[in-house]
Amino acid sequence: MMPSETIIRRNNVTFAGRSDGPVMMFAHGFGCDQNMWRFVAPAFASTHRLVLFDYVGCGHSDMTAFSRTRYASLDGYVQDVLEICAALDLRDVVFVGHSVSAMIGLLAGLREPARFSRQVMIAPSPRYINDGTYVGGFERKDIEDLLSLMDHNYIGWASFLAPVVMSNSDRPELADELQASFCSTDPVAASAFARATFFADNRDDLALARVSSLIIQVREDAIAPMAIGSYMHTRMANSELVVIDATGHCPHMSHPGLTLGAMRTFVERGLGSR
Amino acid sequence: MVPDEPLSLEREAAAHAPCGLLTFSDDGTIRYANNCLHRWLEKAPGSLLDTRLDAVLSPASRVFHSTHFFPLLKLHGVADEIYLTLRTASGTDLPVLVNGVRETRGDSPLNHCGLVTMHRRKEFEAALVEARRAAEAATTAKDEFLAVVSHELRAPLSAISGWIHLARSGKLDATMMHRALETIERNAQTQAQLIEDLLDVSRIISGKMRISPKPLDLAPVLERAVETARPSANAKQIMLSAALDHHAGIVHADPTRMQQIVWNLVSNAIKFTPKGGRVEVVLSRVGSHARIAVADTGVGISAEQLPYVFERFWQASPGGRREASGLGIGLSICRSLVELQGGSIRADSAGAGKGSVFIAEFPLAIAFGPDAGAGAHDTDAEVLAGTSLAAVRVMVVDDDAGSRELLRMLLQSAGATVDTAASADEALARMRAERPDVLISDVGMPGKDGYALVRALRADPGIGRNAIAAIAVTGYARPQDRVRILRAGFQAHLAKPVEPDEVLALVRALAGSAGSGST
Repeated sequence: MMPSETIIRRNNVTFAGRSDGPVMMFAHGFGCDQNMWRFVAPAFASTHRLVLFDYVGCGHSDMTAFSRTRYASLDGYVQDVLEICAALDLRDVVFVGHSVSAMIGLLAGLREPARFSRQVMIAPSPRYINDGTYVGGFERKDIEDLLSLMDHNYIGWASFLAPVVMSNSDRPELADELQASFCSTDPVAASAFARATFFADNRDDLALARVSSLIIQVREDAIAPMAIGSYMHTRMANSELVVIDATGHCPHMSHPGLTLGAMRTFVERGLGSR
Repeated sequence: MVPDEPLSLEREAAAHAPCGLLTFSDDGTIRYANNCLHRWLEKAPGSLLDTRLDAVLSPASRVFHSTHFFPLLKLHGVADEIYLTLRTASGTDLPVLVNGVRETRGDSPLNHCGLVTMHRRKEFEAALVEARRAAEAATTAKDEFLAVVSHELRAPLSAISGWIHLARSGKLDATMMHRALETIERNAQTQAQLIEDLLDVSRIISGKMRISPKPLDLAPVLERAVETARPSANAKQIMLSAALDHHAGIVHADPTRMQQIVWNLVSNAIKFTPKGGRVEVVLSRVGSHARIAVADTGVGISAEQLPYVFERFWQASPGGRREASGLGIGLSICRSLVELQGGSIRADSAGAGKGSVFIAEFPLAIAFGPDAGAGAHDTDAEVLAGTSLAAVRVMVVDDDAGSRELLRMLLQSAGATVDTAASADEALARMRAERPDVLISDVGMPGKDGYALVRALRADPGIGRNAIAAIAVTGYARPQDRVRILRAGFQAHLAKPVEPDEVLALVRALAGSAGSGST
């Protein structure tokens, strides 16, 4: 096994909150990095120890650790989560996953149940591509188009990074926080993550989950359609479904207040049972 | 009023600017869209107001917007040159480049965007993306290749130095000494072959591969290859057999290169067949082609791997585990050599572990009878005697009158009956009226060129597929041109300036059997 410092550096693991508190682990979704949690994570700093990280290939992770083979499926990302848990010797973690990370968390929990006590799934989906009567929201062609769109956007890579410099000079007070780049994702890694995410089908894994779960469904989400929340809820024992009256796929960024409202009781109940 | 004027001008500019202007709130509601954007999206003026941004994005762009563009705006306040695809009311996709900036002063933040179309740029970028990907793949392949090359070149070297060291020690008896020399020789040959292969690849890549095709009987070539391979087959207790149809026919090919192709296929089959297996070499005639099939009971090829076996640097066991040695260029050289000679090659396998068969096919040189092989290249003056083309009818097609007349005189002096035409269409019309034995056509002609002519000729039901033998005359003599000429339906090719002796020999040889097997 790799030494824990290596893992911490590899996944750019950062810590905040009460060092003696129960652990909350925040896992970003496709296209982003741990920066996206900054509107909701601080709300739990007084009660929890916050562990944030970037998947290999995203944010400030160690790009040299990227492997096409390992990250060709969600399995590689599940390994990232479990290796971080092992490196930090984490148990009974409250796992907060956005989008595809909700499923990554669920899969990690199936492998090593003792590591996780509760999970918050924000805008999750077990499968993005339509299949018979199942409505994932996308056709295979849409995903091929997305990969091509990403190619086009990553070709202008320099312009992607440009806003970082600009925003720093405009608002130097944010310099530390932003220091680098949200979205400074490696093109090859981003494409691998997109494939792993959008071609995944984890519907059969839902019924295996035992950890108590909160499913946060956004009423109008262009990526995870309304029906998905109840689809998951009916198949997952020990799950709760909350629909928040918002739009967009990143409610923790666009509607942090509503998202916190939905999460808080569920997370606090976990505190009580300790 | 003076203050009104700049304001209304600003409004005018926004409304009529030939670019899209769009403002949306964090919840994805459109708060402003200018006229141009309405027009692009085929919407009635003003109808986009308060509708959802998602509704005018393609599905892929919806994902990219949610996962990249919006987070970028929200976290950085700015996003430049983002490529998205809008979806118009009629359902067509409109590629655009978007610059966005976030305004947080009010109660609810707004995201302002400027959009320009990028139809042309998109094509250009697609080509760029493709080129980059190809370049990356090529670099990776070359890196791997270099690693393999150095490994492969070193392996025989270490055997050679090892045995020399032993021989020098003076402790080897005569038998062992003999074995040492044998091993050294074998390894030196292996290395020479590796270097030869590398040079072949370089020649093929740079288009400098020279082939000298001549009428060739494949059966002896295959026999020699099988005999050469027999010792290595015996060493692995592989049953090596050959079933050769000696009447399969004559092809137009380079003997040395043909030897190389067959040897490569047979030695590959032996390499990938385990002890006690079988390798069979078959030569047969299939339609107008001679077919060489090399089948084995070896490791086989999985369905996913099949399309790639002829790719340069492809290895039977990809990844770190390299069970079989080799550069992974043998089959790619094979394919190039086969195609340069107008043939085709393919691989087939029922799957991993189920053996494989490699099939190469070459068009028969229909003009050459069983014993024409020697005659065609016999430049003996007697063969070229003036009477040799008596009763042979030749059609000469060239848009250049000078070249046309030169050939007419040459052929007539040899006794041939010659008709000429200045264009493809004229030639076709004449040939339908009176069928010649041989057609000699220039390739580069205005209008219908030589390729079009011979294709039309081969497709003409009134004339018959192979009724007329055809010779192309061209200034291009690169191997790839030769392939194209043969594929188009010519039997032979003459390079400009033409050699009188060669013209006569070729016409005589081709006239021999043309028309005999046709309608």
